[in-house]
Amino acid sequence: MAKGRTDFLLLLTLALALPSTGQAMHISEGILPPKWAALWYAIAIFFVAWGLRDLRVKSAREPFFKPMVGLIGAAVFVISCMPIPVPIAGTCSHPCGTGMAAILIGPTLSVVVSSVALLLQALFLAHGGLTTLGGNIVSMGIAGAFTGWAVFRLSRRAGLSPWAAAFLCGMFSDWATYAATSFELASALHGNSSFLHMFAAIGASFLPTQLPLGIFEGVVTAGVYRFIAVRRPSLLECLGVEARRCPLVPQKTGGAK
Amino acid sequence: MSLLSEIFSDLFARQDHILTRMDPRTKLIIALGALCAVIFSRTAAFPLAVLVLCLAATLAVGVPKRLLGLRLAAPLGIALVLLVLQSVMAGTTPLWSFVALGAKVTVTREGLLVGLLLASRVLAGVSVMLLLSAVTPAHRIFHAMRMLGAPQGWVEIAMLMYRYIFVLLDLTAEVVAAQKVRLGYAGMRRGLSSAGQLGGTVILRAMDQAVSTNQAMRVRGYTGSIPLGPLPAFAAREGWILGAVGVALAGLFFATEALCK
Repeated sequence: MAKGRTDFLLLLTLALALPSTGQAMHISEGILPPKWAALWYAIAIFFVAWGLRDLRVKSAREPFFKPMVGLIGAAVFVISCMPIPVPIAGTCSHPCGTGMAAILIGPTLSVVVSSVALLLQALFLAHGGLTTLGGNIVSMGIAGAFTGWAVFRLSRRAGLSPWAAAFLCGMFSDWATYAATSFELASALHGNSSFLHMFAAIGASFLPTQLPLGIFEGVVTAGVYRFIAVRRPSLLECLGVEARRCPLVPQKTGGAK
Repeated sequence: MSLLSEIFSDLFARQDHILTRMDPRTKLIIALGALCAVIFSRTAAFPLAVLVLCLAATLAVGVPKRLLGLRLAAPLGIALVLLVLQSVMAGTTPLWSFVALGAKVTVTREGLLVGLLLASRVLAGVSVMLLLSAVTPAHRIFHAMRMLGAPQGWVEIAMLMYRYIFVLLDLTAEVVAAQKVRLGYAGMRRGLSSAGQLGGTVILRAMDQAVSTNQAMRVRGYTGSIPLGPLPAFAAREGWILGAVGVALAGLFFATEALCK
């Protein structure tokens, strides 16, 4: 009973002490011990290499692809800086943006874009870091993007509307990011205590804010998708949501004989 | 949003200072070395020494204290959480106990030491990154990363993203101002709707910009790969700087580890 109370106090402390839940999605510099940092780097490098291979193949086919990925990456980065009110925490947070990126450019390229965004955030915002970049790419880029993309595709196949699918994508990508972050932190920090105990404590500390934030991220993702679908449906065709020729790609001219 | 532009700006890195004049590869290698030493340290003394040195250097470059405080606010909170978490969850030797909300909480000696070590590592690591970003423009860091094996495709995407973040931040600021004037954020429902519209607008503008950028690049001969040019030769002076700083860091590391064991 006393242990349970202590855990409750701990969770309360964590929930109150976290300065902003949005910043808590990044594992800060210096937290991960060398062996864990190396492990997450190894996993992240594999996925980034996969994304770069996709980028190379697609941009060799169509040179427009690379500027498009860069610009969409910049847009998603800017969107991820937008404040979202979290009423339960009485504070603001920001969306991860990886779910949206996964819908627009696919999960592998989202990993590449996330790696750049995370490096910029580490350099200029002090969110995350260089030694924890691998861990953050795994949680935000890989877990967030692949979960979001899979949820979106499965929802579409199940017959859900694009808005509902985008909502679920945003929500689950956010939650997957935090679940992965909790796993990484617990595996590195549990020390002599139980891994599951630490995982549950960290995960539960995220719950009061991340549960509503995930829902809000889903709403924003659906809103963005709806806005694009209404105003510029050709963009979704261009990005492969519909398998038609992208009208934005400059057509090759016939050339002089 | 202007605050974000200020944070992402490389204004300080463009000042004339001994640290800004150094080769970005030298600075990147030193930063990586310092970060490795920080996470390998077994006592809080070395990370704290790095923290003090980096903060002093960052202030010497001319970064305002307000901006520094702003950037350090989140890591400080995280360091505090780590300290609390480790102090009461790890270790076996009770240091002191107190009752809070009817529950007995025990702070352990081992937990406190581990918490202090982790908190100091976080703050030291963040201060190294802050100093690096304060004295080196982002595009030069990306160029320097090529030397460490970063693939060209990744560097191209990074440079495109960094270049257009500022353009899109300005656009976002304008749209947010217009939405606020029309009470777009009055209430949760309208706020979320406005956020969706804002996100959609930013993505559409980004696509328009991508089309323009692609056309402009094609006019200049772009065929799918941005020529980044060769890296300049590594000057002998930079080698000396690298060696001296490396020896100093290693000396500081071993001295603090031995003294505070």
